[in-house]
Amino acid sequence: MIRPIQKVLQNGWLELVSRWILGLTFIYASYNKILFPADFAKIIYGYDLFPHALINLIAIILPFLELVAALALISGVYPRSAVSIINVLLAAFITLLSINLIRGHEFNCGCFALQNSDNNVSSQTTIMRDFIYLALGLQVFFYNRHRRWCLRQS
Amino acid sequence: MDFMKTVKETGVLIGISVILAFGVNQVSPNGIALLGQWDTSQGVIRAVKKNDVVMDELEIDDITHGKTLYDTGHVLFVDARSSEDYHAGHIKGAVSLPVGQYDEQIDGFLERHDRDLPIVTYCSGRTCEDSHFLARLLMERGYTNISVMIDGFPGWEAEGYPVD
Repeated sequence: MIRPIQKVLQNGWLELVSRWILGLTFIYASYNKILFPADFAKIIYGYDLFPHALINLIAIILPFLELVAALALISGVYPRSAVSIINVLLAAFITLLSINLIRGHEFNCGCFALQNSDNNVSSQTTIMRDFIYLALGLQVFFYNRHRRWCLRQS
Repeated sequence: MDFMKTVKETGVLIGISVILAFGVNQVSPNGIALLGQWDTSQGVIRAVKKNDVVMDELEIDDITHGKTLYDTGHVLFVDARSSEDYHAGHIKGAVSLPVGQYDEQIDGFLERHDRDLPIVTYCSGRTCEDSHFLARLLMERGYTNISVMIDGFPGWEAEGYPVD
């Protein structure tokens, strides 16, 4: 039972595909946040879980953390470290969304800009999606064979 | 797996991200301040952009003052929210000019309303900047007497003032 699972987890092509899926997803995710940090800051405010003093700093730094980690994953520079960052972010997103889902907190600022940038996906769907990404991320993290199309093997 | 090596490399990636983040925020026209305005008791909440639309001097932060202007009967209330929100409920007598459809609707608005007409814009309250944004757009079109009622429709409705 364990051996076939081990075999899948150590599959080099799966590792490559996981890395690229995560990389492309996070580049896409960072794009609007980098272009419109003020809108992203308002979304962070909407979670109602962060001290006000940290909201802008998170809005400035987080998108670039996503972008740099994503580019590192795709190019294969420090892939294990890059995927560690991605996994921590995914775990944080899952936690934040779950907390707000459990306490029934929903934020709607009635803002035109945010209505347009919001893709109206439910929290449950987003949490499920993040769990799938996290599973891919864990495969990349624990993979310990030669990585395909990778600039640095670590 | 070399744990320390992974930690060190993670530090490098985080360092690059932080430097890049502050660098881009510094030069980007959409950059924001390091500290935002997130206290609704202080006015409209926002990240405070370089090209911030919020003009404190236009703000009506006391809803009763908005009602006093309303009662004069000479002030046009303009709803900056989406037309769906407007149709779901708005200040009685207010006209709709959604920020999202400004380009399509501004010509008709200009034809119907003189430039010297006193205007009060509003949106969804202190979490929303659209009324400020609309005020700026109208000022650019020559309207000179504009105020922004920052408590918006929710504040107005909560006071039991006239709605449609």
